[in-house]
Amino acid sequence: MYDLISNLWLGMGVAATPMNIFLCLIGALVGTLIGVLPGIGSLATIAMLLPITFGLPPVGALIMLAGIYYGAQYGGSTTSILVNIPGESSSVVTCLDGHEMAKQGRAGPALAIAAIGSFFAGCVATVLVAALGAPLTSLALLFGPAEYFSLMVLGLIFAVVLAKGSVLKALTMILSGLLLSMIGSDLETGAERMTWGIPELSDGIGFVVVGMGMFGFGEILRNLENPGSREIINAKVTGLMPTLPDLKAAAGAIGRGTVIGSLLGILPGGGAIIASFAAYTLEKRVSKNPSRFGHGAIEGVAAPESANNAAAQTSFIPLLTLGIPPNPVMALMVGAMTIHGIVPGPQVMTKQPELFWGMIASMWIGNLMLVVINLPLVGMWVRLLRVPYRHLFPMIVIFCCIGVYSLNNAPFDVTMTAIFGVVGYWLVKHDFEPAPMILGFVLGPLMEENLRRAMLIARGDATVFLTRPISATLLALALFLLVLAVLPSLRAKREEVFTE
Amino acid sequence: MSDATPSGDWTRTAAARRQYNLVGGAILAVAGLVLLSTSFLLHNPVPLTVRGAVVIFIAVGIAISLGLLRVQNPQDVYGGMALILLSLVAFVASNDLPGMRGFAFGPGTAPRLFAFTLGLLSLGVVVGGLLTAGPDISGYKIRGVVFIIGAILAFAATIRPLGLVVASFTTLVICAAAAEDVRWKETLVVAVCVTAFCCVLFPYGLNLPFQLWPRFFQLWPRFW
Repeated sequence: MYDLISNLWLGMGVAATPMNIFLCLIGALVGTLIGVLPGIGSLATIAMLLPITFGLPPVGALIMLAGIYYGAQYGGSTTSILVNIPGESSSVVTCLDGHEMAKQGRAGPALAIAAIGSFFAGCVATVLVAALGAPLTSLALLFGPAEYFSLMVLGLIFAVVLAKGSVLKALTMILSGLLLSMIGSDLETGAERMTWGIPELSDGIGFVVVGMGMFGFGEILRNLENPGSREIINAKVTGLMPTLPDLKAAAGAIGRGTVIGSLLGILPGGGAIIASFAAYTLEKRVSKNPSRFGHGAIEGVAAPESANNAAAQTSFIPLLTLGIPPNPVMALMVGAMTIHGIVPGPQVMTKQPELFWGMIASMWIGNLMLVVINLPLVGMWVRLLRVPYRHLFPMIVIFCCIGVYSLNNAPFDVTMTAIFGVVGYWLVKHDFEPAPMILGFVLGPLMEENLRRAMLIARGDATVFLTRPISATLLALALFLLVLAVLPSLRAKREEVFTE
Repeated sequence: MSDATPSGDWTRTAAARRQYNLVGGAILAVAGLVLLSTSFLLHNPVPLTVRGAVVIFIAVGIAISLGLLRVQNPQDVYGGMALILLSLVAFVASNDLPGMRGFAFGPGTAPRLFAFTLGLLSLGVVVGGLLTAGPDISGYKIRGVVFIIGAILAFAATIRPLGLVVASFTTLVICAAAAEDVRWKETLVVAVCVTAFCCVLFPYGLNLPFQLWPRFFQLWPRFW
C-alpha cells in the first residue's frame, strides 16, 4: 500500500510538470474532438498523430497518445446524445437512451452524467492500473516462451469470442492477420519471406499502414454508402446539472459499469466497445423496470459510458505489464513506444518507473481536465457537428495520407494504405470483422518468436505447451471459451447482445 | 461496429444473382489461373499438392461461374474463396523458404503452418456458405472507391516530385468528388484552406521534413 502511494507520488511528480500537463491537455482535447466527429476513430487518429510525437520526449509522447484514447471515449458520448450517431464505436449503445433523453429536453443531465460516470470510472481504473501493475509484472517474470505463446492464443480466442458474427469467420480473420504479419524479413535467419522480390516489403508491412487503411479509409468508404440524416438537437442545452434522483438512479449503474469495463479492458481482445455493450445489457437485466430502457433511462447512459472509459484505461495493463497489446489501439501504442526506444513489457516498470507511473498519474489528471473542460465546450462541439461530412472526409483523408507518409517518408506506404482501405471495405461487405485481423497482425511476430523459442527449448517436443502448468491452464481456458462460443445456447445469447 | 454496417438484408433478383455468380466465379477462376502460371515461373518447383489445390480452386471458381454450385450465402462463399486464395498465394510465395531443420523452425515453417490452418478454416466457411442461406452482398459504392483510392494514389504519386502544396490540394479535390452531394465552389475554398493549414502545421509547426514546392527536374510520377 505504501509502495502504491509512493509510486503514484513519483508519477504525479512526472505528470504534473507544466509541459506534461500541457501535452495531456492537448491529447485529451484532440481525443474529444475525434470522439465527437463521427467517421474517424481513435485508432486512425493516433496513427495520424504518431509523427507529431517524434520530437517529444517519450513520457510526453505517451501521455499525449493515451489522452487521445480516453478523451475519445468522452467525446463519443456527446455525439451519441445530441445527434444519435455514435461519434466513437464504443458509444453506440449510448445513442439508445442518451438521444431519447435529449429529445425529452434532458440533454444537459445526459451529458453531465456521462461525464461524471466517465470520470468516476477513470479514477477507479487509474488506481486499478497502479495496483495491478506490480503483481502482474512479477507474474510476467515467471513466463517463459511457452507461456507467452499460450497467453497470446488465449487473447486471440478472446477476440474471437467477443467479436460479433460467426466464430469461424473471426478465426479466419485472425489467421489472415497472422499470415500477413509474416511478410518481410525473418527475424532469426534474415530470409526474405513472401515479398515477391519487392524491396519495400522486406521490412514487412507497417502496422500503421494496415490499421489506417482498414479503419481509417475503410470506414470512410463505408460511411459514404449511407450518408444518413443528422438531426442535431437544436434546443439550447440547459440545466446541465442532473437532479438528485437522477444521481441516485445512476450511481449503481456507474459502479457496475466501472467494474465490467475494468474487467473487460484487462482481458486481451476486449476493450471499450465490448465493455459498453456488456454494461448496457447487464443494466437492463438488473433493472426492476427494463421497459424504460430505450426511452431515456439515465442508467442506460451512465453504465456504458463508465464502462468504456474504464476499459480504455485498464487495457493499458496487459500492455505495460506483459507487453501484449490487448486491442488494436494498444498495438499502436506499442508502435509509439518502439519509436521512442521503449520495449513494452515487464521491464518498463523496473527500468523506467518514471515513465510507467507518470503515464498512470497523467490518466487521472487527464480525466479531471476532461470533466472540467468538456461540459463548457459542448456548444463548440455542437457547432463542429454542423460541418457537413462532404467537407470532413477529404480532410480526414489528407491528414491520414500525410501521417502515413511522414512515418518513413515513403510513398509506397501510402499506396499500401489505399490497398488496405479497399480490403477493409471488402471485408465488411462480406461480413468479416477487421478487428480480429488487426490483432492477429500485431501479435503475429511475437507469437512466432515465442513459438519457435519454446519449440527449440523443448527440443521439438510440441507437448511442452501442455506439460507446463501455466501454459496448459491458459490453453485449457482458451479451448473452454471456444467451445462455449460455439455452443448453440451461448451463441443465441451473443446474438441477442449484439442486436440490441 | 458503427451503424453504417451495410450487412443488412439485401436481396437481388434471381437473374441478378446469376450474373453476380457468373462474374464472381470468373474472377476467382482467373485469379487462380494467374497463381497457377506464376507457380511455374518460380525457381523451386511448387509441390504437386499445392498445384493440385490451385487447380481444384479454379474448378470451383468455374463451377460457381456456370451456376453448377448453388451459392446460398454469397458473403461466405466469396469471402471464404478469397481467403483460400490468400492461403494458396502464401503457400506459393513461401515455397522457396526452408522448413524444419531438426527440431528448429525454419523461416518457412510458421507461414506454411498459418496458411494451412487458414485454408482449412476458410474451406469451412465456403462449405457453410454453400449449404446454408444468407444475405446477398450489398452493392459497392464504386464512386466512393474510385475517388477516395484515386485521391490517396494521387498523393503517393505527387508528394515526392511535386511537393506538399500540390499534393494536398490535388488529393483534397479528387477526394471531394467521392461525395454524391459535392459542391465545387465550397470544395475549392475548403481545399485551399486545408492545404494552407497542412503546409503550415506539418513542415513548420511540427518540423517534419516536407518539401513544399515541385522539384522541376523530377516530374514523372512514382507510386513507390
